[in-house]
Amino acid sequence: MSDVPPDAPRQPAQLVEHFFRHETGRLHGALLRLLGVHNLALAEDVAQEAMLRALRTWSMGGVPPNPSAWITQVAMNLAKDHLRRQRMSAGKEAAIITHHEQTIARPAPAWETAHEIRDDTLRLMFVCCHPAVASDAQVVLALKMICGFSTAEIARAFLSSEAAIEKQLTRTKQRIHEAGIAFEIPEGEDLAPRLNGVLAALYLLFNEGYKASSGDRLLREELSHEAIRLMAVLLAHPAGRTPRAHALLALMLLTAARFPSRLDEHGALLRLHDQDRSKWDRGLIEQGLLHLVAAAEGDDLSEYHLQAGIAAIHCTATDYAATDWARILRHYDELYRLRPSPVVALNRAVVVAHLHGPQAALDALAQITGRDRLESHYLLHAVAGELHWRLKDERAAAASFRRALALAHVGPEQAYLTRMLERALDDDTPLSA
Amino acid sequence: MSAPNPPTPSAPFLLFFRNSGPETHAHLSPDQRQQLVTRWNAWFEGLVAEGKATEGQPLELETRLVSGPGGARVTDGPFPEAKEAIGGYVKLMVSGLDEATAIAQRHPGLAYGLIIEVRQMTPTCHLGVNTKPNEASDVIVHPS
Repeated sequence: MSDVPPDAPRQPAQLVEHFFRHETGRLHGALLRLLGVHNLALAEDVAQEAMLRALRTWSMGGVPPNPSAWITQVAMNLAKDHLRRQRMSAGKEAAIITHHEQTIARPAPAWETAHEIRDDTLRLMFVCCHPAVASDAQVVLALKMICGFSTAEIARAFLSSEAAIEKQLTRTKQRIHEAGIAFEIPEGEDLAPRLNGVLAALYLLFNEGYKASSGDRLLREELSHEAIRLMAVLLAHPAGRTPRAHALLALMLLTAARFPSRLDEHGALLRLHDQDRSKWDRGLIEQGLLHLVAAAEGDDLSEYHLQAGIAAIHCTATDYAATDWARILRHYDELYRLRPSPVVALNRAVVVAHLHGPQAALDALAQITGRDRLESHYLLHAVAGELHWRLKDERAAAASFRRALALAHVGPEQAYLTRMLERALDDDTPLSA
Repeated sequence: MSAPNPPTPSAPFLLFFRNSGPETHAHLSPDQRQQLVTRWNAWFEGLVAEGKATEGQPLELETRLVSGPGGARVTDGPFPEAKEAIGGYVKLMVSGLDEATAIAQRHPGLAYGLIIEVRQMTPTCHLGVNTKPNEASDVIVHPS
């Protein structure tokens, strides 16, 4: 057209997937470096303001060639405006803020290096996973601050209400404020325990995504992928590059590799036995095995090592029948010594069933220490139901599946248990007729 | 890819975007925001490719209202009613009010509360377009 001006907008730059989400996390890091951890809420507000500005301007004017630099510049200017306003409105604090501006590192330029971004993200991880914060609160805070999830998304992922998540976040931020946590990568003897805290939180985050869920399965799988992304950030830094971290990432990769086969085409849960192994992600398995090799350096043998070892045995078995159950049982025995929890014992019982039959497994279930803590978990009853069924005790099987069904919360698990219950009842029909 | 231009003469229209301020999109998740940016740009780029959009621009939110003889009254924005503020505009060259309205109706922002005002620019002759003078063409597309 003749009257298209020569400076008509060109095709806007394309944004990579989850750009806004990850950019939010990156901004939080850069802003906390400028503002300090005690200004966590302000950093969040500024990041939010910058993101909304980007949304408006890029919608109508196109995405700029370097969107990340654009948004950092906007956020840094907003932050400095806020500091200036704070200084003007509270005269007596002026000295503090001036001191603050002088001592805190220089404002981040728009052209930050990959190293600085990585280090900010790592510092942010150490803040969110600080021992002063309860572990489930750490995961929620990390999702908000580092992964850039909205409160609504977190609520959906945790089957909670937005108000409840908001309340928890407010309390957590208050805790962080009171604890006076520094924006730093811990050093010396502080490092190892703090690092363990970060690993534990990322493990929890991964597991949240791994759990089957109704409706928002994709959103939950994103939690697992975020955990993997953050593990990669951690391992990219010398301070975080430990055998234990390699083991945890191996565990995550070897587990995520099996995500594509976990559900059938109707979204129903498939047991390992029924999964199509050709759907397993070979690339992730290879990466996982490489990290498992790196995890073997040194003499640390953590629960992550053992769990990754178990996952590796499953991933490398050509089919279900070829699974090396004896080796898996040895791993579980070791794991139970390290972490004697009823959940580990329950998983161990499933392996016992493969090696020594359903009755041996039922005996193992009966002997679990602290079994009462498992009573309210559907999995105990689902496993017991399966074992009873294999012993041809359909009535006991049906009773167990009924209890499991009453305790299961999410769709695919409920559907699976309903199928199992129907199977037990079908077999039961000729007997009771 | 694009449909051949209709043989009807083109007339200039402006689409004004209202209710596009921060408060409209604050509740969207980062991924929803990104999707909106992407779809919004695709809407505009599609029109450019068809030769129907000639320019578009966001406007800064900072507003000043000048009134009174000699501009004696200067009021700082933003507007008391944030919905009223114009956040940006797009200039179209289309066959008429109906086509301009149809284009506005396809806007992805409507789902999130965007309000689009469709206005024909006063008749000009440089394109050989003859529209009836004094006919106020004014349609407002509200979110459905």
